[in-house]
Amino acid sequence: MASGKKKRGQSDEVKTEDAVLAQNLDYQAPGRAVGITAMLSLVAFTAVFMSYQSTQLERDDRADLAQSPVVENFALPADPLWGFVAIPAGEFTMGSNPQRDRMAYENERWSATQRQGRVELPEYFIGRFEVTNAQFANYLTDTDSPNAALFAALDPALPVTSVSLPQMLSYARWLDAQLRTSAATPTVLREALEAGAKVTLPNEAEWEKAARGTDGRLFPWGMQPSDAFANIGGAALLPVGSHSCEPCSYGLSDMAGNAWELTRSALVDYPFTPSSAEALLDVDSLWVMRGGSYQDSINNVRAAVRGAVDPSVRNPTIGFRLVISSL
Amino acid sequence: MNTTEIDTRPALRLSQVVGSFKLPMALTLAIFLLSFAPRIAANSTLMYSFWGASAVLLLWQGFMLIHLARRPALKDFSRAIYAQHYVQAMVQFSVYLYWGYYWRPVYDHFWLLAGQVMFAYTFGMLLAWSRRRSYMLGFGPIPIIFSTNLFLWFHDDWFYMQFVMIAVGFLGKEFVRWKRDGRSVHIFNPSAFSLGFFSLILIATGTTDLTWAPEISSTLTLAPGIYTYLFAVGLIVMYFFSITLVSGAAAITLFGFSALYAALAGVPYFLDSEIPAAVFLGLHLLITDPSTSPRTPLGKTLFGVLYGIGVFALYTILGWLGEPTLYDKLLCVPLLNLSVIGIDRLVRRIKSDAVLNLWNPAWLGGRANVAHMVVWISVFGFMSLLGRTDAQHPGDSVPFWQQSCSAQLPNACARLVSVESTYCGDNAAWACNELGAHYREGLIVERDADLAYSYFARACELKFQAGCANLLQEQTALRAEPLELDLRLMLRQGGKNLIDTPAPELYARACSHDWAFACERSAAAGE
Repeated sequence: MASGKKKRGQSDEVKTEDAVLAQNLDYQAPGRAVGITAMLSLVAFTAVFMSYQSTQLERDDRADLAQSPVVENFALPADPLWGFVAIPAGEFTMGSNPQRDRMAYENERWSATQRQGRVELPEYFIGRFEVTNAQFANYLTDTDSPNAALFAALDPALPVTSVSLPQMLSYARWLDAQLRTSAATPTVLREALEAGAKVTLPNEAEWEKAARGTDGRLFPWGMQPSDAFANIGGAALLPVGSHSCEPCSYGLSDMAGNAWELTRSALVDYPFTPSSAEALLDVDSLWVMRGGSYQDSINNVRAAVRGAVDPSVRNPTIGFRLVISSL
Repeated sequence: MNTTEIDTRPALRLSQVVGSFKLPMALTLAIFLLSFAPRIAANSTLMYSFWGASAVLLLWQGFMLIHLARRPALKDFSRAIYAQHYVQAMVQFSVYLYWGYYWRPVYDHFWLLAGQVMFAYTFGMLLAWSRRRSYMLGFGPIPIIFSTNLFLWFHDDWFYMQFVMIAVGFLGKEFVRWKRDGRSVHIFNPSAFSLGFFSLILIATGTTDLTWAPEISSTLTLAPGIYTYLFAVGLIVMYFFSITLVSGAAAITLFGFSALYAALAGVPYFLDSEIPAAVFLGLHLLITDPSTSPRTPLGKTLFGVLYGIGVFALYTILGWLGEPTLYDKLLCVPLLNLSVIGIDRLVRRIKSDAVLNLWNPAWLGGRANVAHMVVWISVFGFMSLLGRTDAQHPGDSVPFWQQSCSAQLPNACARLVSVESTYCGDNAAWACNELGAHYREGLIVERDADLAYSYFARACELKFQAGCANLLQEQTALRAEPLELDLRLMLRQGGKNLIDTPAPELYARACSHDWAFACERSAAAGE
């Protein structure tokens, strides 16, 4: 009984204390309704805010990309064929004859019994210049790539480098689609595309024929070594076409030096045959690059030199140029 | 008639009132200082999130102090040390330690965990004091934070949402209450409440990629023997808090449904396990809060069974809606918490002692929970013997899904694409090329030339020659056998990659996964 009394007394004490405490505060402690409202408001705010932020981020991305507008002719040179040069159909001599070219490497030999071979090619078009940063950035912008700003910030006239084989092929595929759909595409190019050609990287034969022509020269400009027509043994990449080369085959620039140019040919022993897709499955994943770079000496910028890299390589000395080819 | 009340209590000085705020102020300062830790300072949004959290807490304290300056009153604590809090916290922490050893982002997250724990304590104190209650000082906030982070945490750029999520959990605990057995108790498990709410928001706003939830869900299995580990630490929780019936019933239900589906459909229900590791974690540590689960043995069993059914159903529903299925284990807990009173009422209506004491016969005395644990240990042992826990699972094998897809078994083609997407994401070139081929052929997925091209490009970058060939010839969808590196990535069975595994062992494992070419190589190597 006494205990009961005590408990009641204690309880009264607590109640009194609560009342006094309540008076000590000049604000009302928030009740459940207020609390739940606050909590639900927080949740609702979160939902709206996250939804808004998510949309905003997407908009920002698009706005960043929109800062580099897509150029009308895809940043290609403003000549009648948008920088492409027609290479007539016909045969040319491929590979090296060590008797005429003391700098030839073993992998330039045609076969065990033959030093050089003759290769017949149909007409195709090849870029007068290496693909530039401006052209590549234009492509990245159009495809909403997160790397667009990165390439747009580079010197637009320099050859694009540090891109992998799949990236190069993706650019070629994109340009192919653009040229097919653009009303401004030069008629000759459009007709070639409609006849079954496509924009891609050159294969080894296409590249070598464009570089050395049909008269069997060792260098794009002729038989003698020279540093007058190409960026060889230099300090850095130069804007495409910096070295004018009047004597060069088909008037192409930078087929020797400046940047190595990756091809769509896997590295296999000669004799050269255009590889079928199935045949590629049986060879190592090494892809031929041609022409040497500004870092190379004269022996590596010969028209027949064959370097090779794996398809993921992104190297500041390796770029590419395009062809419109029916092969 | 006017009366004047005389306050007979000794007058409080302002310094005494301010003194009672020492702990929240110290914690607020600690949160602010923590923002300068290299892990946090490295990301400006993360640092500002900590500053923002400190600022909110400081403003709250300022507001309270301004009012208390006029009418001083002490803010105090009462001691509330409960085993269920610190044992849960220790078990959860051990999971972090073990898992983090194999997935380092967990260890990097410790700084952020510490910040959240301090925030939770301070928020809880201020909330209690604002409600004119004494703060129950104990380990309570720690298992809430640990449990939340075992399932979901936001990317650094969105980390302020983590603090909001904690705040919502504590507000829910404080305000969303009901009378249960004559006492006012919170309805929802605080971590499950905020996890459930935020999962819904993430799904509804299409922002599920702002959190680490997918990585958390998929990296648990990087820790070898994770099922056995979770089972072992789960036993501790079961022993102390008698939640064996909840966890066991949930696991058995899920396992049963999965096994039934596999028997009927010919393919596993979940991708690569009978019970996904994250769900297994959830049924030990997320639904076992005694305050928000039924108290009777039959009620606990029903609760566990409902969780099993809920996860099973939500997995399909979320998949059907095209949403990430990993939220299945989170979304159903708040619904289950809501059903607790219903379950209790249902159990009370049962008049049969035999039914009520089905899991609690008198002859067990006070040892019923131990008996339940023995049954659970036997069930887990049986599951392990069947190879349904840590061992190789049919769903781990790509050829299994290829064959199931060819046989047009339910969901098999979608699962094949899903498995290959996972491995392509792991840089297995073969898987990328296969995906490219599927999208180019358009046989088991809708044809998509651009997507196919991007997968081939990735395969080519990874030096898979068929991928490069497919890039050059857009009419083809060439395939080739996986490279050795691909096997090292694709045979990991949810664990770490097999980079250091000797080739013969690798090919033997590939053979056990039904890679025919690997069996030939394995046999040739043995000759």
